[in-house]
Amino acid sequence: MDVPAIVTEGLTRRFGELVAVQDVNLRVAAGQFFGFLGPNGAGKSTTIKMLTGLLAATSGQIQVLGLDFAEQMVEVKRQIGVVPEGMGLFGRLTGSEYLNFVGRMYGLDRETAAKRAAELLDFMQLADQQKKLVTDYSHGMQKKLALAAAVIHGPKILFLDEPFEGVDAIAAGTVKAMLQRMIARGATIFLTSHVLEIVERLCSHVAIIHRGRLVAQGSLEELRAGVEAQAASGSEIQEPQAAEKLTLEEIFLRTVGGQKSAEQELSWLG
Amino acid sequence: MAGLTSRPQARAQLAAIARVRWLVFVHSLRTSRGALELFSRIVIGSAITVGGLGGAVGWGAGAWYFVSHGESEWLALLLWPIFAFWQFFPVMASAFTETLDSSNLLRFPLNYRAYVVLRLIYGALDPATVLGGLWLLGILIGIAIANARLFSWAALVLLAFGLLNLLLTQMIFAWVERWLAQRRTREIFAVLFFLGIISFQLLGPMLSRYGPRSTPALHKLGAEVSPVQRALPPGIAANAIAAMAAGQVGKAAASLGLLGVFGIVIVRVLSIRLRAQYRGENLSEAPKTQSTRKATEQVKLGWSVPGLSGPVTAVLEKELRYLSRSGPMLLTLITPIIMLLIFGLGQARSAPGGFLQRSPDLGFPVGASYSLLLLTNLVYNNFGADGGGIQFFLASPVRFRSVVLGKNLAHVTVLALEMTVVWIGVSVLFHPPTFAITVATLSGVLFAVPVNLAVGNLLSLRSPKRIEFGTFGRQRASQLTVLVSFGVQIAVFGLAATTLALARHYREVWLAPVAFLLLAVFSFAGYELALRRVDRLALGNRETLSSELCR
Repeated sequence: MDVPAIVTEGLTRRFGELVAVQDVNLRVAAGQFFGFLGPNGAGKSTTIKMLTGLLAATSGQIQVLGLDFAEQMVEVKRQIGVVPEGMGLFGRLTGSEYLNFVGRMYGLDRETAAKRAAELLDFMQLADQQKKLVTDYSHGMQKKLALAAAVIHGPKILFLDEPFEGVDAIAAGTVKAMLQRMIARGATIFLTSHVLEIVERLCSHVAIIHRGRLVAQGSLEELRAGVEAQAASGSEIQEPQAAEKLTLEEIFLRTVGGQKSAEQELSWLG
Repeated sequence: MAGLTSRPQARAQLAAIARVRWLVFVHSLRTSRGALELFSRIVIGSAITVGGLGGAVGWGAGAWYFVSHGESEWLALLLWPIFAFWQFFPVMASAFTETLDSSNLLRFPLNYRAYVVLRLIYGALDPATVLGGLWLLGILIGIAIANARLFSWAALVLLAFGLLNLLLTQMIFAWVERWLAQRRTREIFAVLFFLGIISFQLLGPMLSRYGPRSTPALHKLGAEVSPVQRALPPGIAANAIAAMAAGQVGKAAASLGLLGVFGIVIVRVLSIRLRAQYRGENLSEAPKTQSTRKATEQVKLGWSVPGLSGPVTAVLEKELRYLSRSGPMLLTLITPIIMLLIFGLGQARSAPGGFLQRSPDLGFPVGASYSLLLLTNLVYNNFGADGGGIQFFLASPVRFRSVVLGKNLAHVTVLALEMTVVWIGVSVLFHPPTFAITVATLSGVLFAVPVNLAVGNLLSLRSPKRIEFGTFGRQRASQLTVLVSFGVQIAVFGLAATTLALARHYREVWLAPVAFLLLAVFSFAGYELALRRVDRLALGNRETLSSELCR
């Protein structure tokens, strides 16, 4: 039986009185392209920070590739790649220096780090900008560089916090192809995004967090079936809609109770 | 467009912006930092008021003296400092503060006139304008007391002079703002500013050296400058008042007209910038041109330092690259030499009593101490320049012990370089330090550096503060760090100075290195202990590190 990529049990994070993440039990199998969704302020970034060691959990356990995060943090970090919310870049290095630096920090030898840095810069269409300081890159270019840095050591799990934000359509296509190739080779990807179309197209499994609690988890089909079953038992969903195949956006809105606000009308607008 | 019954009114827009600024101010008081900010503003505001009123009295007395003694043309002597202050203070202050981002206003349907009015109102509220206005009022009152008939004319001239100053400040600021929008120009400006500040310290030694011989030269310079100053706004304003006092109405009117011409030119130059801003010019630092993509290029290999692991070498390389790309930080490398030069100039003057004149052998220890002091900027906040990069360190599989070690090696490299430069500088300016003094200094540094690094590493993780090398005013550590580092320096330098003084007193300079080496054993042990605590401390302070450095 395969070891799951990520397992959390009772994962909780408090900030003073505020409970940002409460009793989250996640299970991500190895090789899954996993989408982690939630409205603004639901606890997505807090969860991903705890899963990558950027933030300590108040209580609960995290296991990554069968390793206890708290006990074997360095070993876990060696096997994962992260694009955090703030991208974690060093503005005063050039693009190539930054990738070289990240490669060395993940234990690659000088030659391998330089070779992979060159390949990644080319792949991310940053080869002509490699001598420019990172601080002078546009937001989209910085995002591509952060993605390149996250994969330079060939991680088994990749954590991506809004990876497509500010990335142009051409680069987004390239990145998606790269991520799907990683999945085909057995890597696991844990992704948060507000663009539900992208999540629907890429991810095989999805979890939805709302007000700090995990409210749904499973494959897209499982989530769809769950929402439809709920709709069938209730009266608020109209029949024609229930008969159609629900999109991820509809599943999301019904799960987090956003349907009403989406249907609200501002009579004076247009 | 339901509900949109009329075009937006400029007055309503201005009122809305004023209200937003008020709300921003009120909300800022919700935090203790905001309350402290208010307290600082009250203190600074009181200082400005006192300075303004005191200055107004002084300037008024001066104006009264010149006018009542029939020397109204000397009013230029009062107007020039006001003019200089009004123009230079806002520019200098801009090195410390963020410039107004006018693009925030442009998303609203403001017409050009409302936009210009807003810019001028922002400008009119700065301390330079308030102080300049108060001082001109003082001059007006002084003139009126000396010669009541001059009051109306002087009021008109000084009002024109004040408006001209306001517009000129805005003009200069608008252009400086344009230059400061780019990182590189901002850095150059910061370096020039820093050099300007340092050059003030040269004034004392220069005056003590050349002062007695300079009086005739100053007189000659004054005679040459006088006609030039008369053609510029302060001189013109003084001439306008002096001519009226002498009954030369035509000449007085011509002078006022000349001020008007200056005003028109300034408005024209200012409007070039304002119109460009109003049209929505983009001063962002995004790449201007996109060259065609090249094929895979060779990326240079990272550094390799024998005996150091890959991650430690990578951090060392990264730190030194960071420092080499910071103009202000590079400048601190040569600051000890500038300070020695200042001491050297002071010493060249034959006046007795100069510290280094009495003890020239202390040149190297003093320079080394100064270098170490400058280094505390880096050591006590060693993640400050990383900003968001701290997230990478937190997520990477490298222990913080290695990261901190790499950073400390970079600090020691910089210090070694600085001390070499200081040794050469002392040799050229004074005489080569003796072998005994060199060894005593180096052993003293061996004691002082680990203490500073140990405390610095712990404080860097406990109370980090984001800094930007390229911008002055954003290089300060937290108040706690400043306080602790101050205490450490007092203890370390006190101990070192006492040891050295005792060794010199007993004419046994060799005692100092022995004592320092003994102390160094303890300080190295302390450093090692601190290094062992670094990982746990970093994990415990993850949130503080992220929230403070990723702002």
